[in-house]
Amino acid sequence: MEGRMLRYCCLMIVLAGFLAGCTVKAVGDPNRPITINAHITIDINGLQKTASSIEDMVSGK
Amino acid sequence: MIMSVLFMGLMSTAAFAQSYDIKEMTPAVTSALEARKARFSELKTLKAEGIVGETNQGYVEALGGDKATAKLVAMENKDRRAIYEAIVTQNDLGASALVTVEGVFAKVQRDKANAGEKVQDASGNWISK
Repeated sequence: MEGRMLRYCCLMIVLAGFLAGCTVKAVGDPNRPITINAHITIDINGLQKTASSIEDMVSGK
Repeated sequence: MIMSVLFMGLMSTAAFAQSYDIKEMTPAVTSALEARKARFSELKTLKAEGIVGETNQGYVEALGGDKATAKLVAMENKDRRAIYEAIVTQNDLGASALVTVEGVFAKVQRDKANAGEKVQDASGNWISK
Protein backbone atom coordinates (compact mmCIF):
# COMPACT_ATOMS: atom_id res chain seq x y z
CA MET A 1 0.00 0.00 0.00
CA GLU A 2 2.72 2.39 0.91
CA GLY A 3 4.65 1.33 -2.16
CA ARG A 4 1.66 1.94 -4.31
CA MET A 5 1.18 5.39 -2.76
CA LEU A 6 4.83 6.18 -3.29
CA ARG A 7 4.66 5.14 -6.90
CA TYR A 8 1.50 7.19 -7.35
CA CYS A 9 3.13 10.25 -5.81
CA CYS A 10 6.22 9.85 -7.98
CA LEU A 11 4.04 9.50 -11.04
CA MET A 12 2.11 12.64 -10.15
CA ILE A 13 5.33 14.54 -9.57
CA VAL A 14 6.72 13.42 -12.93
CA LEU A 15 3.45 14.22 -14.65
CA ALA A 16 3.32 17.67 -13.07
CA GLY A 17 6.88 18.36 -14.14
CA PHE A 18 6.07 17.19 -17.64
CA LEU A 19 3.04 19.44 -17.85
CA ALA A 20 4.98 22.40 -16.49
CA GLY A 21 7.70 21.84 -19.09
CA CYS A 22 5.14 21.71 -21.86
CA THR A 23 3.59 25.05 -21.03
CA VAL A 24 3.30 27.07 -24.21
CA LYS A 25 4.81 30.47 -23.81
CA ALA A 26 3.68 33.27 -25.99
CA VAL A 27 6.60 34.85 -27.80
CA GLY A 28 6.74 38.15 -29.46
CA ASP A 29 4.45 41.07 -29.25
CA PRO A 30 0.89 40.13 -30.22
CA ASN A 31 0.33 43.74 -31.26
CA ARG A 32 3.26 43.73 -33.70
CA PRO A 33 2.09 44.09 -37.30
CA ILE A 34 2.52 41.01 -39.43
CA THR A 35 4.42 41.43 -42.68
CA ILE A 36 3.27 39.24 -45.53
CA ASN A 37 5.59 39.01 -48.52
CA ALA A 38 3.14 38.24 -51.27
CA HIS A 39 4.51 37.44 -54.70
CA ILE A 40 2.88 39.76 -57.24
CA THR A 41 3.05 38.94 -60.94
CA ILE A 42 3.43 41.99 -63.14
CA ASP A 43 2.28 41.92 -66.74
CA ILE A 44 5.29 43.51 -68.42
CA ASN A 45 3.42 44.08 -71.69
CA GLY A 46 0.69 45.97 -69.86
CA LEU A 47 3.27 48.04 -68.02
CA GLN A 48 5.05 48.77 -71.28
CA LYS A 49 1.81 50.04 -72.81
CA THR A 50 1.31 52.33 -69.83
CA ALA A 51 4.88 53.59 -70.05
CA SER A 52 4.58 54.20 -73.77
CA SER A 53 1.29 56.11 -73.33
CA ILE A 54 2.77 58.30 -70.63
CA GLU A 55 5.88 59.08 -72.65
CA ASP A 56 3.76 59.86 -75.72
CA MET A 57 1.68 62.23 -73.61
CA VAL A 58 4.79 63.93 -72.26
CA SER A 59 6.24 64.33 -75.76
CA GLY A 60 2.98 65.79 -77.03
CA LYS A 61 2.15 62.96 -79.45
CA MET B 1 -16.45 22.11 -77.24
CA ILE B 2 -13.32 23.30 -79.03
CA MET B 3 -14.77 26.79 -79.43
CA SER B 4 -15.58 27.00 -75.73
CA VAL B 5 -12.05 25.93 -74.81
CA LEU B 6 -10.60 28.51 -77.20
CA PHE B 7 -12.91 31.17 -75.83
CA MET B 8 -11.89 30.35 -72.27
CA GLY B 9 -8.25 30.53 -73.29
CA LEU B 10 -8.74 33.94 -74.87
CA MET B 11 -10.67 35.19 -71.86
CA SER B 12 -7.96 34.06 -69.47
CA THR B 13 -5.34 35.79 -71.61
CA ALA B 14 -7.40 38.96 -71.63
CA ALA B 15 -7.92 38.68 -67.90
CA PHE B 16 -4.18 38.40 -67.38
CA ALA B 17 -3.48 41.45 -69.59
CA GLN B 18 -3.16 44.06 -66.90
CA SER B 19 -3.49 47.79 -67.17
CA TYR B 20 -1.22 49.81 -64.89
CA ASP B 21 -2.53 53.27 -65.65
CA ILE B 22 -2.27 56.20 -63.34
CA LYS B 23 -5.72 55.87 -61.82
CA GLU B 24 -5.72 59.05 -59.79
CA MET B 25 -4.24 62.31 -60.99
CA THR B 26 -2.98 63.51 -57.65
CA PRO B 27 -1.44 66.99 -57.41
CA ALA B 28 2.01 65.40 -57.29
CA VAL B 29 1.40 63.35 -60.45
CA THR B 30 -0.21 66.25 -62.30
CA SER B 31 2.67 68.51 -61.37
CA ALA B 32 5.24 65.94 -62.45
CA LEU B 33 3.57 65.31 -65.81
CA GLU B 34 3.08 69.01 -66.54
CA ALA B 35 6.70 69.78 -65.63
CA ARG B 36 7.94 66.98 -67.87
CA LYS B 37 5.81 68.24 -70.77
CA ALA B 38 7.13 71.76 -70.30
CA ARG B 39 10.70 70.50 -70.11
CA PHE B 40 10.44 68.05 -72.98
CA SER B 41 11.72 70.16 -75.88
CA GLU B 42 14.74 71.39 -73.92
CA LEU B 43 15.54 67.83 -72.87
CA LYS B 44 15.12 66.66 -76.44
CA THR B 45 17.67 69.24 -77.61
CA LEU B 46 20.16 68.19 -74.94
CA LYS B 47 19.71 64.55 -75.90
CA ALA B 48 20.24 65.35 -79.59
CA GLU B 49 23.49 67.10 -78.64
CA GLY B 50 24.64 64.11 -76.59
CA ILE B 51 24.77 66.17 -73.39
CA VAL B 52 22.05 64.11 -71.71
CA GLY B 53 21.46 60.38 -72.06
CA GLU B 54 18.85 57.83 -71.00
CA THR B 55 20.06 55.45 -68.31
CA ASN B 56 19.17 51.77 -68.08
CA GLN B 57 17.13 52.56 -64.96
CA GLY B 58 14.54 54.87 -66.50
CA TYR B 59 16.21 58.17 -65.67
CA VAL B 60 18.34 60.72 -67.46
CA GLU B 61 21.96 61.51 -66.77
CA ALA B 62 24.05 64.52 -67.65
CA LEU B 63 27.00 63.40 -69.76
CA GLY B 64 28.36 66.91 -69.95
CA GLY B 65 26.93 70.37 -69.82
CA ASP B 66 26.77 72.89 -67.03
CA LYS B 67 24.97 73.49 -63.75
CA ALA B 68 21.77 74.33 -65.59
CA THR B 69 21.88 70.95 -67.31
CA ALA B 70 22.52 69.20 -63.98
CA LYS B 71 19.55 71.02 -62.47
CA LEU B 72 17.29 70.11 -65.37
CA VAL B 73 18.37 66.48 -65.11
CA ALA B 74 17.68 66.46 -61.36
CA MET B 75 14.21 67.95 -61.86
CA GLU B 76 13.39 65.50 -64.66
CA ASN B 77 14.47 62.54 -62.57
CA LYS B 78 12.48 63.76 -59.59
CA ASP B 79 9.36 64.02 -61.74
CA ARG B 80 9.94 60.62 -63.33
CA ARG B 81 10.35 59.04 -59.91
CA ALA B 82 7.06 60.58 -58.77
CA ILE B 83 5.28 59.06 -61.77
CA TYR B 84 6.86 55.64 -61.27
CA GLU B 85 5.93 55.64 -57.59
CA ALA B 86 2.37 56.62 -58.44
CA ILE B 87 2.07 53.66 -60.81
CA VAL B 88 3.41 51.31 -58.14
CA THR B 89 1.20 52.68 -55.39
CA GLN B 90 -2.01 53.08 -57.33
CA ASN B 91 -1.79 49.60 -58.84
CA ASP B 92 -0.78 47.94 -55.54
CA LEU B 93 2.35 46.46 -57.05
CA GLY B 94 4.41 46.52 -53.88
CA ALA B 95 7.46 48.63 -53.12
CA SER B 96 9.82 46.14 -54.72
CA ALA B 97 8.06 46.64 -58.08
CA LEU B 98 9.59 50.11 -58.46
CA VAL B 99 12.71 48.53 -59.96
CA THR B 100 10.57 46.70 -62.52
CA VAL B 101 8.67 49.88 -63.41
CA GLU B 102 11.93 51.78 -63.79
CA GLY B 103 13.32 49.04 -66.05
CA VAL B 104 10.24 49.05 -68.27
CA PHE B 105 10.34 52.82 -68.63
CA ALA B 106 14.05 52.57 -69.46
CA LYS B 107 13.25 50.17 -72.29
CA VAL B 108 10.49 52.41 -73.60
CA GLN B 109 12.83 55.39 -73.52
CA ARG B 110 15.47 53.40 -75.38
CA ASP B 111 12.94 52.33 -77.99
CA LYS B 112 11.70 55.89 -78.47
CA ALA B 113 15.18 57.42 -78.56
CA ASN B 114 16.16 59.06 -81.82
CA ALA B 115 19.17 57.94 -83.81
CA GLY B 116 22.38 59.35 -82.36
CA GLU B 117 21.03 59.87 -78.86
CA LYS B 118 22.96 58.39 -75.95
CA VAL B 119 21.39 55.43 -74.19
CA GLN B 120 22.83 53.13 -71.56
CA ASP B 121 22.81 49.43 -72.27
CA ALA B 122 22.13 46.69 -69.73
CA SER B 123 25.82 46.55 -68.83
CA GLY B 124 25.93 50.26 -68.05
CA ASN B 125 27.85 51.25 -71.19
CA TRP B 126 26.83 54.40 -73.00
CA ILE B 127 26.08 53.81 -76.65
CA SER B 128 24.63 55.92 -79.44
CA LYS B 129 21.37 54.55 -80.70
